[in-house]
Amino acid sequence: MAFHGLVVSVLVLLIVLVIAAWILATYNRIVRLENRIDNAWGQIDVQLRRRGELIPNLVETVKGYAKHEREVFEKVSQARAAMLGAKGPAEAMAADNMLTGALKTLFAVAEAYPELKANTNFLQLQDELSHTENKVAFARQHYNDAVTDYNNTVETFPGIIFGAMFNKRERPVLEAPAAAREVPKVSF
Amino acid sequence: MGFEDDIARNRRATALVVAFMFLLLWAVIIGFSAALGLPVAFVAPIAAVLALVYIGVSSSFSVQSVLAATQARPANLEVREERLLVQRVEEVAIAAGVPPPKVYVQDSRDINAFATGTKPENAVVCATQGALQQLDQEELQGVLAHELGHVLNRDILLSTITIGVVGTIALLAEIALRALWWGARGRGRGSRGGGGGGGAILLVLALVLLVLAPLFSRLTYLAMRRRREYLADATGVKLVRNNQGLVRALRKIAGDLPDDPKGSRTAASLYIENPWVKTEVDSVFSTHPPLKERIRRLEQM
Repeated sequence: MAFHGLVVSVLVLLIVLVIAAWILATYNRIVRLENRIDNAWGQIDVQLRRRGELIPNLVETVKGYAKHEREVFEKVSQARAAMLGAKGPAEAMAADNMLTGALKTLFAVAEAYPELKANTNFLQLQDELSHTENKVAFARQHYNDAVTDYNNTVETFPGIIFGAMFNKRERPVLEAPAAAREVPKVSF
Repeated sequence: MGFEDDIARNRRATALVVAFMFLLLWAVIIGFSAALGLPVAFVAPIAAVLALVYIGVSSSFSVQSVLAATQARPANLEVREERLLVQRVEEVAIAAGVPPPKVYVQDSRDINAFATGTKPENAVVCATQGALQQLDQEELQGVLAHELGHVLNRDILLSTITIGVVGTIALLAEIALRALWWGARGRGRGSRGGGGGGGAILLVLALVLLVLAPLFSRLTYLAMRRRREYLADATGVKLVRNNQGLVRALRKIAGDLPDDPKGSRTAASLYIENPWVKTEVDSVFSTHPPLKERIRRLEQM
């Protein structure tokens, strides 16, 4: 009889250990996914700042050939300020979308000035800005991938247990701008 | 699933294949020794150590030697196409959440690209001049995403170890078979085979192993390579969320295989398409799956 009791105790202990290991693994995974989201946001932030840095040089270069297009420069500067001053991912992305729109107008205007189009500095800045737009788009994709993984983990069992306990809840993905959804991602 | 999870899963799968290759190599070394008449129990542990050392050495592999064999040079940022190439590589690396690989260029006119390096931190991606001239940015990025896929899937590490083992198996089998042949002729002249029935069975097994192992390991390697190409195609599409770039690039490549491929043949399997194969031969001996089939699968993604 004593032996029977021992076997049962060992079995129960094993089951408890397995469950504990499972819970621990899930919690660690949630933490890891949260860190991945933070890193992904960090990457978006870096690219947005790089965009912000390139703008003044671009505006100066275009002004050198097209002084009168004041309205376009205003729009670009405003959008840039809004982006740099944004609080949080969603606000920054919305501001960046506006900036992309303003830049499209700027480049469309530049089409009318052939000497500007031949300026190597302008061409290089144009390449760089397209590059940063692509980087922001891919960084947003990576961020959304991380958020989706996280949401999947905290919305299904057993991660959902932590939802209540540690306030690990579903997070929103970053919306792509409507215009970007129609255009292929790589712009040049 | 995130790319980080895929990487972890691929690391585990790669470990399994490496373990299998180790066992195969070990078996062949033992077979080799049995053929030479050495006592198996004595040889087995030595063989295990040899196999481990061999695999360890071949996996600490040199990116530099690949770059030298392919005559690749670092991308020149002063040249617009090469600057754009570096930008496209950086973008794909961001999508994967890994540090950007170094970017190299190979001065040949065919459209091709390859990646090397055992993990994202030491990876190098290279494209040919032909690729830079003839592919548009979307197509180029599709190809680069495929190559980064190889790095993420640990294919280069896997190929290096496997090809080393395959080569060694072939060499050992050849030596052992010759030893058996000459030994058999020697024995026929008067002495009897040692060990009686048990020794003879071991000898027969060794013989079978030595004849089949080289062929078997080579076929396994090629089948694995082909499967990894499909996987890299899929990973590439997942990275850029777009199959059109790669599809169009493969179509252009199909019409463009070179007359005089540059670089060493041993690097052939690293390329997006084997530059030494001008005709579309679908066989178990191809390093790459047929282009038509790759395009078909891509279009269904």
